Amino acid sequence: MRASMTVAPRRFDEERRAIPFLLPALAILCLVSLYPLIQGISRVFYAYRALSRQDIFVGFENFVLLFQDPIFGRAFSNSIVWVITSVGAMFLLSYGLATMLNSPYLRLRRVFRSLTLVPWALPGVVISLTWRYIFLANGPLNSFLESIGVAHTPTWLTSPDLALWTCIIANTWMGIPFVTIMLLAGLQSIDRQIIEAAAIDGASHLQTQLRVILPSIRKVVLIVLTLETIWTFNSFDIVFVLTKGGPGSASMTLPLYAYQNAFMYYQAGYGAAIGVIILAVLLVAVALYIREVLR
Amino acid sequence: MRLHPAKQVLLHVAVVASIAALAFPIVLLLFNALKTEADIFASPMGAPTQVTWENFRHVLFGTSFAVSLRNSAVVAFSTVLLSVMVTAPAGYAVSRFKFRGRTIFSMWLLATQSFPGIIMVLGLFTVLQTYGLLNTLPGLIVMHTSFSMPFSIWLLKGYFDKIPVALEEAARIDGCTRLRSLIRIVLPLSVPGLLAVGTFSLLLSWNEFFFALVIMRDNAHYTLPVFLSRFLGSGGVVQWGPLSAAALLVSIPIFVLFLLGQRYLVSGLTGGAIK
Repeated sequence: MRASMTVAPRRFDEERRAIPFLLPALAILCLVSLYPLIQGISRVFYAYRALSRQDIFVGFENFVLLFQDPIFGRAFSNSIVWVITSVGAMFLLSYGLATMLNSPYLRLRRVFRSLTLVPWALPGVVISLTWRYIFLANGPLNSFLESIGVAHTPTWLTSPDLALWTCIIANTWMGIPFVTIMLLAGLQSIDRQIIEAAAIDGASHLQTQLRVILPSIRKVVLIVLTLETIWTFNSFDIVFVLTKGGPGSASMTLPLYAYQNAFMYYQAGYGAAIGVIILAVLLVAVALYIREVLR
Repeated sequence: MRLHPAKQVLLHVAVVASIAALAFPIVLLLFNALKTEADIFASPMGAPTQVTWENFRHVLFGTSFAVSLRNSAVVAFSTVLLSVMVTAPAGYAVSRFKFRGRTIFSMWLLATQSFPGIIMVLGLFTVLQTYGLLNTLPGLIVMHTSFSMPFSIWLLKGYFDKIPVALEEAARIDGCTRLRSLIRIVLPLSVPGLLAVGTFSLLLSWNEFFFALVIMRDNAHYTLPVFLSRFLGSGGVVQWGPLSAAALLVSIPIFVLFLLGQRYLVSGLTGGAIK
């Protein structure tokens, strides 16, 4: 409940007095969020011409080119796989871990909970570098596989079939701490008596999970899923460090392809067009996220 | 209810295995930092056969690590300070005042989290160029602050909502202004919230890579994540020993500060998501 409801309404000067408090935040929002967004999106209508060495207006040409570009097609489908599998795996693994960390029979619960969070503090670049080392052809993972008798160990990072999946594994690992802590907080807020009541009524373990526990933590589940979808779709560090999108475009994702176009091939308009596609896809997730948070 | 002893053992084994899976890359990093280059690939998984400090010495004295460390520290601490200074009044306004566009403001704030980096960076390029902030630390500080704003304003609003308005009203009758009542009454009661905001902006700024990569153009301005990525170079042989030592040095300060602020950050993060 809003506390101001308890006193006499004084709306007449509320707005005027709110402005100075909001001004610094509004200034920053306009300067580094609203204006750049508009400016960035407007770039899609321009293309750099090497001959005249300047950006010229080309209308929707960047989008026409985009839909004929096989690398864009590959990056798009990769990004969809990347998001669905990463976020799906993050959720399932984190849900399991959170359930175990919430168990009243677990000793040293607080210690385990703190330890779970550790990877979350590390820079994405550090995590990505470490995974790149783990997946090296002569690195720890393959040396482990050889030690248990695997004859032909794969070259994870440079194999067209595996490169994207190595990135997905690293990304999933990186997302687990945050998702686990959020889900755990949700689980802790459930009244144990409800679960016991379900058990007494003869609900199976699975039924209790699906019909009692998940609906009780619906809000936190939706927030975590939409946030992770947004972050993973926009994620740059892991693929940039692990594979640079290679081999070929086997592990190319949309943000990386946009970056390469804008900053390596000097096609800012083309990069921006890819950004607009990302934004369009994310609108659904954002709308869901905003609805849940403001609810 | 009691749990079968076998199940209880299984539970502990599963939890320890999960934690181990989350920790092992960090352990590998530690091992590599202390190994010689030959040792790293002779036993990719094992502990160092002989401990060497050469990697650390190389990073600290043979590279521009110190410069990047200074840049990262300046950017991260300025981001924390600026974030608190900007988001505390904004959170207060959203919590205490009714104003037109409050819902739009909140929605915009939340939506900014989804804006693709590429669009923002292309647009920001123009802004930073106009103000001469390209390849400078202040440009990055303002950007990082804007990234921390949605979460921070939201979190502080939640804290402020819980503080009774009556406390402030008593003070205001005695002639206290709104700003003073925010600083003297509300903020001291919201220290855990401020610590959560501080920890969050610190982590975000210290670890942020993409924008730092794009707007910083030379060694003198690289932050630590960009410094690390330069180790990989373009193809060629990667020196994993020094790289691991550098990665560890980048992680240790943020790790220590994170441990200190973890409690506040977790309760701040989860507070809003649970009804």
